Amino acid sequence: MIAGLLKKYQRETINMFSLNTPGGIICSPAPPISFSGFPLVHEWPVLSSEDKEEIIGRVERIVEGDGPSHEFLRQRAALMADEMLENALYAAPRDTEGNQIYAKGERRSLVPGEEIVLRCAFDGERLFLEVSDSWGRLSPETVQGFLAINLAHDTSTDRAGRGLYFMWKFMKDFYVNFVPGLKTSVGGYLLLNPDSYEYGAI
Amino acid sequence: MDNFKIEIKNGSINDTVHFHGNIDSHADSHFEELNQKISKKSVVFDFSGAGRINSMGIALLLRSIKSIKTEKQAEISIQGASQINTMLFKMTGIYLLAPEAKR
Repeated sequence: MIAGLLKKYQRETINMFSLNTPGGIICSPAPPISFSGFPLVHEWPVLSSEDKEEIIGRVERIVEGDGPSHEFLRQRAALMADEMLENALYAAPRDTEGNQIYAKGERRSLVPGEEIVLRCAFDGERLFLEVSDSWGRLSPETVQGFLAINLAHDTSTDRAGRGLYFMWKFMKDFYVNFVPGLKTSVGGYLLLNPDSYEYGAI
Repeated sequence: MDNFKIEIKNGSINDTVHFHGNIDSHADSHFEELNQKISKKSVVFDFSGAGRINSMGIALLLRSIKSIKTEKQAEISIQGASQINTMLFKMTGIYLLAPEAKR
């Protein structure tokens, strides 16, 4: 039954976020991401917080090329991977009352049954990035709320969801795929030569 | 990984704060002593040695800038930010509190 539920959600609930005319955030269903055109999709499991920098380094290294466009893509990719992995390692794990289990920056290993996987692929122009965790805590409604409060452009210090806001702003087709209690996937594309660097705002 | 450090150079006109390495949750403790080392009313935050700044790093910077402005009545400006960090500073309002230094 769980496998059936997983398939149902994976097929039907990829959610994308955009601005409507009055400036609110709307969440829309979208077809699953296709990997056609990518020569190779890398899949790297995370076993502990100590793996984070190594995996970010791998993401940077698959963007081969010199020049300012490649360098800027590597910078954006590293930031996106950082935010996605931080969310999976520290924001996703919650106790039964919804309290965060691990403090940001704390050294931690994954608990038995817990999975975090980063997938990425680069075809010379598009870099696909996705991080999945096995907590299934990040609902599209929560993401929608975080994006809305971060749109305020004020200087609040401890604003929740700022990392998701960065992903939404930088990534083309930023999405959240959510199976309650089973899986959350957050992903999207970074382009080598985008027409805009701030996708969430257009 | 904690490869982050803050270096402060007290000049005759202003204090320059040089950030080295990635600014994230591991940088938290380094920011605690920063206020005490500021002596001038003009402060420059130099990011030319900084690496990646994630959302936690942005929160630390916002807190630090507000604290220095309030407790030291100092003005802060920013120099040396990379292309991506410049975008983050615009996106999060850091430049509203601490504008780019005039060249």
